Amino acid sequence: MRRRWIAGAIGVLAVALAACAPGGGASDQGDKAGTDKVTLSLWSWRVEDVKAYEKILAKFEESHPKIHVEFKPFQATEYNNILATGLSSSGGPDVAQLRAYGGLQPLVEADQLLPLDGKVEALSGFDAKLLEGAKGHTDGKIYGVPFAYQTLQVLYNKKLFSDNGIQPPATWDEMIAAAKKLKSAGITPFAVAAGPDSTWTLPIVHEIFGNARYGSTAFRDALVGGEKKFTDPDFTASIKLIKDLEPYFPKDVVAVKIPDVQALFATGKAAMYPTGSFDLAPVLAANPSLEVGVFQAPPPPGSPVTTPVTPGWADGSFGVNAKSAHQAEALELVNWMATPEFGQLYATELKQLSAVPGVTPSDPLLAEMAKNYAGNGAPYMLLVNFRYGQPNGDAVFRDEVQKMLAGQTDPEAVAESVQKGVEQWFKPGN
Amino acid sequence: MPRWRVLAVFLLPALLLYSVFMIYPLVSALDYSFFKWRGIRQMGFAGLDNYRDLLSIYPYDQQLWRAFAHNALFFVGTMVIQNTVGLLFALLLFQYGRGRRFLQAAFTTPYLVDPLVVGYLWSLLLNPTFGPVNALLEAVGLDSWALPWLGDTRTALPIVILVNAWQWVGFPMLLFSAALAGIPAEYHEAARVDGASAWQAFRRVTLPLLTPAIGVVSVLTFIGNFNAFGLVYAMAGSTGSPAGSTDVLGLLFYRVAFVEGGVEAIGRSSALAVLMFVFIFGVSLLATSYFRRRERRLV
Repeated sequence: MRRRWIAGAIGVLAVALAACAPGGGASDQGDKAGTDKVTLSLWSWRVEDVKAYEKILAKFEESHPKIHVEFKPFQATEYNNILATGLSSSGGPDVAQLRAYGGLQPLVEADQLLPLDGKVEALSGFDAKLLEGAKGHTDGKIYGVPFAYQTLQVLYNKKLFSDNGIQPPATWDEMIAAAKKLKSAGITPFAVAAGPDSTWTLPIVHEIFGNARYGSTAFRDALVGGEKKFTDPDFTASIKLIKDLEPYFPKDVVAVKIPDVQALFATGKAAMYPTGSFDLAPVLAANPSLEVGVFQAPPPPGSPVTTPVTPGWADGSFGVNAKSAHQAEALELVNWMATPEFGQLYATELKQLSAVPGVTPSDPLLAEMAKNYAGNGAPYMLLVNFRYGQPNGDAVFRDEVQKMLAGQTDPEAVAESVQKGVEQWFKPGN
Repeated sequence: MPRWRVLAVFLLPALLLYSVFMIYPLVSALDYSFFKWRGIRQMGFAGLDNYRDLLSIYPYDQQLWRAFAHNALFFVGTMVIQNTVGLLFALLLFQYGRGRRFLQAAFTTPYLVDPLVVGYLWSLLLNPTFGPVNALLEAVGLDSWALPWLGDTRTALPIVILVNAWQWVGFPMLLFSAALAGIPAEYHEAARVDGASAWQAFRRVTLPLLTPAIGVVSVLTFIGNFNAFGLVYAMAGSTGSPAGSTDVLGLLFYRVAFVEGGVEAIGRSSALAVLMFVFIFGVSLLATSYFRRRERRLV
């Protein structure tokens, strides 16, 4: 029989050893070559994007002939550890893809990144909500150029809607009526998964239907400032919405996994899919002929915010290693990453929402999501503000909401647990 | 060459690997657990703070004991189901020799598959939306039995225990088979001459002589169950779905160390690893010495 946790410890050790080994970092090679061409090493967790980045970076090298950029992706699940050790030793990256918000903080606290304030002029034009993701939590300095963001909304199957005589709903009641109609026609109204390893989507479902109900950005600010708590009646009411919608989720939702609901939606067995912009590509890959539309959930009755909201968050940013031997060139690269040229290339090649201002996605659905976010964007609160300590706000939230769906707790108790969880480390006013 | 040098030549490579990959991580986990961490930065000696946090900070204070209780249930369930059935199989194969080789091989084939794969396959079979198990139950008219097996807090852990037993039942069977073959036939003949029934012969002769095998099986089951990870992870995810009803210590460690990724992760996860090691190692030692004493009484 195996000793799994020892295996885990060995894994950590192996990473540490790999990092201690004499590094063959790209920066070293550039020096040794002795030429005037500098090689920058760019680390990323996007193993699947190698081709696209080669294309994008080729454009950079055209206009910056003295710099060669080597794109070095790592397994996404291992990336955080690899980057943390890489930044603490020689042979690390010059420029690195950084996680956002709480995921960035350990690197900031270890002084491993170069603050970009005043060094990348274009950042002043970026959306302030997205810049939050690239800032240190306590010092407020900017450590990266945001590259992409995700938005949350409802995808719907256009054919199922027209077959059942349904329009994208303008009010909450219309949405419930549509769900009832679909359910009686034998179609799963909402493709929602709450099963093993799928519970991280529950805070997303909550944001999509409940952001307006709890009071959106204003409530977030009050929460961070300490004037309100998660136990606020508005927040509790927003949790209750998930329970109210449960009859319109797949049967036995606490056993249903993400691939199941993707399949349900892609094969026309489910009509609406409350999810992030990141799911558009996988859904269309599963069924390229699927006609997908998008709408923002209408605000439920009693909401403090009466316009539909599109919650979103910054995916990550590109930052400069504080120990880089080629900081000037690295800054040139991240400066270029803040230009519309990079943003447009990024959006086109990777079919993502670029964080660079003024870039419009070529895909009409993504363009609509971007427009919604620009008009009615709000932070995905649990991810943006409550991932700076253990336990994460959204980790407690997803476990408790799953319990609620399994009939073991109620919205008030969920809210109390989240408050109790974040209180372990969260001090209002920071 | 003197004898000890020969021994050293053969032992050294293994000892080196063992030290680098087993001893060093163990010691460093112990070391890490006594420090305050911010990300990968060691911030100074923390004494027992990480241990205190683990036992007192919500929700770990609750999750730790819940996971511990599930590991204990996992162990008891496995002893009762897997090891009893394993003993039964071994006895049947011992009594009725025909096809023994084939059946022994058949019972042990699930070994060859990684627990992650076994867990994934069973979660597909039990899937409430597309799974064949419930489709089959409905097809034969047992609609009321078509439960969301892995989605119900009452059935999820028992199902995981059953699937684990399905995979490993060949293990106690093999050990018991070997032990049964080692019992001299005269004992059974003598018991029969004395007029013992089949049950009496089993209870008074076979079972006591199986004590060494029972000891080995129990201790290895204990170690395996308290370190359970792959199967539970594949069937219930890192949070022990649904609603933490299958959460075990291995999953809790994985979450604290890798999933939630707070700045305190290294210290707290190392503390948990040390607690698990001390408990598993301690109980295994006690159990081994207990079974040794029982064995000595047999002689």
